[in-house]
Parts: sequence; C-alpha cells; structure tokens
Amino acid sequence: MTPVLQLKNIQKSFGGVTAIQDFSLDLHAGEVVALVGDNGAGKSTLIKMISGVYSPTAGDILLDGQPASFADASVARERGIEVVYQDLALADQQTVYMNLFLGREPVKGPFKILDRKKMIAETEALVKELDVRIPSASATIRDLSGGQRQGVAIARATHWAKKLVLLDEPTAALGVAETARVEATIEALKARKLAIFIISHSLDQVFRLSDRICVLRRGQQIGIRETAKTDKNEIIAMITGVAA
Amino acid sequence: MSLTLPPRAVLQGLIVYAGFVLIFMFFAVMLWDRGFLSAQNLTNIVLQTAPATVLAVGLVFVLAAGEIDLSFGAAVALAAIVAALVMRAYPWPIGVAAGLATGMVVGLVNGLIVAYARLPSFLVTLATMGVVAGLARELSNLQSIPVTAGPFIAVFGGGSLFGIPSLVFWTVAALIVGHVVFRETRFGAHVLATGDNPRAALVSGIRVARLRLSVLVLSGACAGLAGLLYAGRLQAARYTLGESDLMTVIAAVIVGGTALNGGRGTIPGALVGSLMMGMLSNGLILMGLSVSWQMIIKGLIVLAAVAVSLREPNR
Amino acid sequence: MSANRRQFIVGLLCASALPTAVFADAPKTTGPNGEPAAPASSVILSDLDVEKLQAGGYTAAFAWHELYDWSAAVSRGAQDEFARLGIKVVAETNASFDAARQTGDVETVLALAPSILISLPVDSESGTATYGKVAKAGTRLVFIDNAPAELAQGTDYVTTVTSDRAIIGARTAEAMNAALGGSGKIGYIFHDANFQVTNQRDQAFVWNIENRFPGLEIVARAGMADPARIEDIANAMLTQNPQITGIYVPWTEPALGVLAVLRQLGREDVKIVSIDLNEPAALDMAKGGSVAALVADDAYAIGVTAARAAAASLLDRKVDPILVVGAGIVRKDNLAEGWRASLNTAPPQSVLDALN
Repeated sequence: MTPVLQLKNIQKSFGGVTAIQDFSLDLHAGEVVALVGDNGAGKSTLIKMISGVYSPTAGDILLDGQPASFADASVARERGIEVVYQDLALADQQTVYMNLFLGREPVKGPFKILDRKKMIAETEALVKELDVRIPSASATIRDLSGGQRQGVAIARATHWAKKLVLLDEPTAALGVAETARVEATIEALKARKLAIFIISHSLDQVFRLSDRICVLRRGQQIGIRETAKTDKNEIIAMITGVAA
Repeated sequence: MSLTLPPRAVLQGLIVYAGFVLIFMFFAVMLWDRGFLSAQNLTNIVLQTAPATVLAVGLVFVLAAGEIDLSFGAAVALAAIVAALVMRAYPWPIGVAAGLATGMVVGLVNGLIVAYARLPSFLVTLATMGVVAGLARELSNLQSIPVTAGPFIAVFGGGSLFGIPSLVFWTVAALIVGHVVFRETRFGAHVLATGDNPRAALVSGIRVARLRLSVLVLSGACAGLAGLLYAGRLQAARYTLGESDLMTVIAAVIVGGTALNGGRGTIPGALVGSLMMGMLSNGLILMGLSVSWQMIIKGLIVLAAVAVSLREPNR
Repeated sequence: MSANRRQFIVGLLCASALPTAVFADAPKTTGPNGEPAAPASSVILSDLDVEKLQAGGYTAAFAWHELYDWSAAVSRGAQDEFARLGIKVVAETNASFDAARQTGDVETVLALAPSILISLPVDSESGTATYGKVAKAGTRLVFIDNAPAELAQGTDYVTTVTSDRAIIGARTAEAMNAALGGSGKIGYIFHDANFQVTNQRDQAFVWNIENRFPGLEIVARAGMADPARIEDIANAMLTQNPQITGIYVPWTEPALGVLAVLRQLGREDVKIVSIDLNEPAALDMAKGGSVAALVADDAYAIGVTAARAAAASLLDRKVDPILVVGAGIVRKDNLAEGWRASLNTAPPQSVLDALN
C-alpha cells in the first residue's frame, strides 16, 4: 500500500543554520507514528514543513506517491493534511463552530451569507462523535478550559483531515482525565484510517498510542523503531545519545 | 439550556445602548422646553453625525482586524477637495468617482505598507495622515473650493427623497452593507479571526496580508464617501474637513463596543456611539453651557463610557 | 484726564468719525457692494427703544469661529449690551476654526429659535450652507468681521461689524515708523490665507509704508498660514536679512513666536509691531522689550455695536450694511488706558506690576 506521506532525505536550513539534516520517513494510513526528541531537536520545524508553512531546502515530499510541494499552509490543507498546533491556533473571541470552520466557512445564497445553521449542526455532530465535552457549539473559546479547547482543535483537524493529522504536543498542558479523552480521540482518528503523526515528550503516551517511534536529536534522525519491539530505555538512549 | 446570565462580554456590549438612553432621557427632561426633542433638532443630530457614522463603519472593520487608521480624517478633506476640483471641469458623477477613488488610494497606500512591509498601522497611518493633510492644503491652496453642481448637492447634501434626507440614505446604506458584510460573510469572519489571532488565521489559510490591505482600503473608501457628504452638505470643500472627526469617530467606535486590539466589533454599536457623541455635543450647546464646560463634560462622559466598555472580562 | 488717555480717545474718535478716506487712494473699508463704512457710533437706540426691547422677551446666541482674548472681548461687549436691553443669551458655541462644526453649531442653535444670532464665519464660501436658514427662521443675523459674499445684506443678514482695516493698516505703519525713528528695514509677515480681515489689514500696512513713510523699506516678506510654523518663518527671515530692525506680525499670537526667536538669536534690538492685545505681548512691551506697539481695535465696542444693531433690526430699523469701530496704537506709555479702551477690562496684574 502506498504510504500517505513519504519524506525522502529532507533537509531544512535557515541561513547558515541547519535545523533538519537528511530526514526520511513513511507514514501509512491508520498508523500512529510518534516523533520524540529533546527541546531544540527540530520537531516543530519538521511539522511545519509537512504542513506547508516551510519548504524543505532539499529533499522530496510525496503525498500518495506523487511529489508534492506546498506553497503555503492552505495548499497543504487542500491536499488533506491537518495540523493541531501546540498553541491550538484558535480565535479566542469566536465561537467553537466558527473556529471549526475557520478559513473554510460554508456560505449559502446569492450573497454568500455564512451558513451558520450548517456549521452549528455539523459541529454538534462532530463534538458528540468525538465525545468532546463542551457546553454548546456556540460557546466562546475563551470560556472553555484547556482540555476543552484541545478537544475543539482536534475536532477541527478531524473534521477536515482526509489523509494526515499532525499533532504537536496535544496533551502537554492537560490533566489526567482530559489526556485520556484526547488519547481516545486519537484512537478514533486511527480507526478512520488517517495517518497520524504526533510529537510528544511523554514516553508513556508514546508507548500507549504509537505504532512506530521516530527519534530526532539536534536535527539528525537517530532512528525509527516499532513500538512493540522496543522499550523506554532504548528510546531514551537514542534521545539523549547516552548508551543505556 | 440552563438559565444563565449572558456572558459579561455581552453585557459590556449593551452598555452603550444603556448610556445612550440615559443621556437621551437626561437631555429630554432638562431641555424639554428648549427644542431638544423637536423633530428639526433630532434630525439635525442625525444629519450632523452622518459623515462620522460612515467613517465609523470603516473603522470598525479596521479595528476588528487588529489594525488602526489615523489618516481617515485627512483623507476626508483630500477626497472632498479632489471631488470639488474635478467637478469644476467635469460632470459631477466623475467628481464622485474621483472623490471615492482618492479615499481608496489613501487606503491602498496605507494597506500596502502595513500589510506587506509589515510596519505597525498606528505609525504608518500617523505618517500618511500628515502627508494627506499636507496634500489637501497644497491642492486647495488653503482656500475653500465651492461646490455648485446642483444634482451633486441634492444627492450628497441637502436633497431628500420621500421626505428623507439623502444623507440619511447614504448613512443607512453604509450601515446595512457594513453590518451584513461584517457579521454574515466570510470576509467579516476572517477580519475578526485576523484581529483575534493572526497566527491562527494564517495557518487556517486566511490571506492575512490581503485582508489587512482590504480593511484599510475600505476605511479609505468610507473616508471618500464622508468627504462627498461634507462637500454636498457644506457646498464647499476645505482642508479642515474631517479634522475633528478623528477623535470623535474613534471614541464613538470604542464606546460602541469595538475593541481597540482586535477580534471584536459591532457596527450597530458604532452607530449608537456616533449618535451619542452627536447628541452630547448638541445637548450641551442647547443647555447654554460655556464652551469650556462643553468640552470638559463631553470628555468626562467619553472617559466613563470607555472605561466601562473596555474593561476586559477576566480571562 | 491724562494727556495720553486724551490722545488715545481723540485717536479713536477721529478713527471712528472718518473711517473711509484718510488719503485719496488709500485702502478703504467698504461694504458688500462698495458702500462706505458707517461708524459704529451711528447705531443709536433711544430710551423708548430700550423699553420696548426689554419688554420683548428676546433671546440671542453666538456662533464663534474661535474663542480667545479678542473674540472673548467682543463677546463680552455684546453680552453686556444684551443685558442692558433685557435680551437673554441662550447659547454660545465655538467651532475651533472648523467650518463643518460651525455649520452644525448654527443649526443646533437655531433649535432654540433665538431672536438674534451673532457670528464670525470661519469659511466665506459656505455662506448659504451655513447661514441660509437663519434669516428664514426669523432670526436676525449680524456678522463680525466679514460676511460671506453669497449672502444678501438686508435679507439674509443685518450687517457686518468690524474694525476699520484701513485705519488699522495706517496705525500699524505709523507705529512702526515711530518705533524705528523714521528709518529702517522692515520684515513683513502676512497672513497667507483667504481671510478678508487679516488680508486687508496686512495690505493696508504695506500701502501705508510704501506711500507715507519713505524712510522705511520692506526688505523681506514671508507668508504665514499656520501660526504654529511662525518660529521657522521668523528664523529664516532674520537669518537671511540681518539688517532688519523692525518686524510686522499680522496678530499677536504669532508675534509671541517671533519674540521667542528674537530672544534666541539675541536680536532684542529688533522691534515688533502687531495687532490685538494679549498678556505676554503686553508684558514684554511693559518691560521695554521688543514689542514696541500693539494696534488694538475696539473689540469690546464691536460686540456692543453688533448687539445694538441686531436689536435695532428687531425694531425694524434700517441698519447700515457695514459698521466699523476704530483702532488705537497701544504703547508702553498708554498701556493701561489702551487695554481698557479696547477690551473694557483692566490689564492683567502682571502687566500692571511690570509697568511700575
């Protein structure tokens, strides 16, 4: 089966500084791959290249086997790639349903008026399906808790993602119960046959959720392991570079 | 849904309406025998605030997008002068087009610098304000330029249709179009998102630079229209037009509930804010207060209104 | 009565009695259709008239262009006269030189249906737009200083009351001549805007210098549109023409700026002659500084005359189309009397102290 996403020898430099050196990875539908590494390893840069915010300095990105270059984030989105950023990229003063459809609001009629009914209905359905517990689709983001906001951000990615979802530290700021709910949502995404790429610094979470683990250290790809066939010590050794 | 008090943000937005009603009732009582409530006086208030209301519509978009425009007052004068000069030699519809175009060009210059050179709009529009004001003085040679085209004066100034003054038509048109676009179109939603969280807007595929450009051009267009309304009403164009509107319109918009730092805006609120400012000026004059006291009291009321409507709800 | 006070009053009387021709082709102050200006003193109300007015329950309003020493004095004069005639002042507005604001002010004030409106128009071009409705509402309109050309005297407004600009021009030239001892080079700063009053005064000054005082020569001319820019203008003028010994400034607000520049350049030998009284300028003059003379028109009398003319029109009297008051030269030696004669108040304490 063709991988949803193939990164071949990706390199990213900013001026004289090389952030990513020679990174390669394949992502398949229905699979969760975790990216781990210490701070400054280059994880966010990698995510931004996949989501189209940056372009690689060298190397190829293939989507469904076809070469892809994303001029900007909206092109990547059109191709079915969604990202949940660490800061969630939500408009605080807007409602949940407006955020869900941000940039892609449905319109109706000759004057292209926003179709709020549709947005609210679809939001409610999605929120129920993913068990994201919010007061209503018309609640303002500012009034929600951290976990609820995360749920909204993930719901948004879920709604639109056709191929690949990238998650950058999705539960970093959440408590135990909320983390569990988010992880359940990620499992649901997996069941929908999406490819999932998740950055996490919680090894417990990584071992709970992922099928494969990719380690990055200072821009260099250290290795990829199948989760079932490795253990924490090995991964830690790869992250820190110190033999176990 | 359980019965809860409307969120604080909503209550704050309603303050301007409450304030308006209170002030109206105050003047109605104090000035009941001095003509405040007469049809002519109330009409005067609406007519006098018409250009400011049109400007307020544009400013709501700009502020909601997280920017500010300080040059719209000067643009009003330049647009009026250009229109008046053009109408000396060409038919009046061409003058109208020239006036509107002038406003939009000012907005375009602002927008290009702010959106693409990414300089802060406060500083950019402060600078263009000076340039535009200077151009207005230079072009008019500090003189008033009379406007004599009869149809223009009827359409943009003192004329009326079915008994409703044409100024009212223009203001209502600007309000309705502005409100619908702001609240019910994608563009409006994108404006609010950009002002609220520009990064989120960017990664959501919103063309943030183009949006910033658009709102500044829109503000310029409103300035152009306001210039035409002044030229029609005064039957002359002068470099001082719009000068006093800068502060009045900003106050009106903010008192009306549009946040200074973006993400939130209301056009009906701006209308009420504008009418309230006009009503204040009018009522204080009719009360026979000295000019100094008129200024003091107006300033204090605006201060109070701003303090109430801008206090951020606890995050 | 002191000799100086007598002199001043005689000067004022002569000025008001002979407003038109001091010299054959000298500039003259005339009405809208070239009518000769009538002296302010020609407006007279008998005791019977006053009784009728007091019983009439009339009201009055003001729509100013800007409020400062001079216009405040005019306002006081009018208000004192209204008080005498039993006419109640119901509103006073200040447009801060904004034509659009003045239009709004006049509209608003008409809601009170005043019997009289006194106004100094900011913009002579928006005459009909701003004042067209006043006469139709039955309100008697009196203009201060200038009337918009498109309005008809007699139907749209009653009269214009102003200072005699030709006389002021003559007096400023005379004052300059006296200050420079009959000979010297002059820097001439004029009001670079289309404002009848200042334009005519400035031009009259020039005419008088060129035609009456051969010992004086204008070597530099500079236009000032915005008083805020005066220091740059004065600086440039003095630097380029160091031989200047006297400067004419169109009114006292910018004169203060010129004074500051003189002090900065250490050129306190240069004399300033200007128009209107204000405290800082008078103070400098009292201390024997650069301000040599201020020509003060009878601002208070302008107000009184305006009020009186409007009242006369209420009684259906015919009023001359343009009324003028005189002006006198105020120098250090007649400061107190001159101030009182023009503004009808005592000079500020600081000035009185400096004189002693």
